[in-house]
Amino acid sequence: MENELLFQLGIDWKLFLSQAVNFGILLLVLTFFVYKPVIKIIKERSAKIKEGLEKAEEADVRLKEVDVIGKEKIKEAEAESVNIIKNTEKKAKVLEQELQKKNEEKQLQMQKDAEAQLKKQLEENKKVVLAQAGELVRKTIIKTVELKPEQIDDALIKKAVKEAENG
Amino acid sequence: MEEISLKAQSLFHIGSFTFTNGLLLTLVVSAILITFSFVLRSKIKMVPGKLQGAVEIGVESLLGLMESTLGTAKAAEKYFPLVATIFIFIMCSNLLGIFPGVGSLSFHETPLFRSPAADLNFTLAFAVISVIVTNIIGMASVGTFKHLGKYINFHGPIEFFIGILEAISEFAKIISLSFRLFGNVFAGEVLMTIISFLAPYFIPLPFMFLELFVGIIQAFIFSMITLVSISLHTATHGEEH
Repeated sequence: MENELLFQLGIDWKLFLSQAVNFGILLLVLTFFVYKPVIKIIKERSAKIKEGLEKAEEADVRLKEVDVIGKEKIKEAEAESVNIIKNTEKKAKVLEQELQKKNEEKQLQMQKDAEAQLKKQLEENKKVVLAQAGELVRKTIIKTVELKPEQIDDALIKKAVKEAENG
Repeated sequence: MEEISLKAQSLFHIGSFTFTNGLLLTLVVSAILITFSFVLRSKIKMVPGKLQGAVEIGVESLLGLMESTLGTAKAAEKYFPLVATIFIFIMCSNLLGIFPGVGSLSFHETPLFRSPAADLNFTLAFAVISVIVTNIIGMASVGTFKHLGKYINFHGPIEFFIGILEAISEFAKIISLSFRLFGNVFAGEVLMTIISFLAPYFIPLPFMFLELFVGIIQAFIFSMITLVSISLHTATHGEEH
């Protein structure tokens, strides 16, 4: 009765076993040639995408940090440049004052030298003039001694008359 | 009209082994799937092509579904091969069963091919594998004695009868799984044969679509019942309630 039912339904333990074995083989093949490689590649890709996203986020954070550092550096550089300019201006002023002082001293020295030289020249000239004047006086005296007093009076009278006429 | 046979017809014998048309189509489906596996394996790349992309969508969808049922991605991945193979094999068998030419080719006046799920040996083999493997998974997961304790329980008369009912339900699961699939596919084949006999042109078309739908749905149901079974057997007592 039981066997008759199984026969009517077509149940054969050999066919049943062959179907089971067939399923087992297919399960193994699909597992090792499809499921495992596909799942592995999906995981690898997911890991790569995750890594990429993390790196992009990290790069974003770094970029912001670099931006902040850059701005700070620019501020520092600006402050430093302002300081440098101020210091340079101060130094330039000091230098200018020193130069001016030196110039004035030099000018004063030059003036003193010039005055000394002028004085020396004047003294030399005076000596020359005095020498020449002495000579002239000496010569004049000689000439005067050589002239007659009447002639001198006439010449003086004539000169006075001439000046009076010219007015 | 061709003769409607409840069991798969014999094509030839190898010794005492009867080679049936249902088994032939099973082998054809297996060959197609194995060839597909080798082709896919050789084409797997980090940047997927169309074929790999389609397979990945299927794998990820089923993994997601399994994860939502089993609770963890690790468990989903662990039991994925069994559930996926059941689904793919049954679906391909059902779809190939209604493929044009499959029903019309004959060998010594016997149909050369028969939808594998229209052979009770096929569905019974799947049901037995499903029930045995899910019980083995249960034993490996919660422990042999704890798992067997579900069926043999002497803590009290109520627990004892619940244990017996559990054991009967496992046996009933084999029958329900195998006969549900067999009944649906065989009924579809009978329906198609009758409709094709009554109105050979255009009228069978909506029924073919219905068979396509039934083929996919039955494969899905079978694999989902296996999945739920795994989920129930791997759950600890606390998780069950």
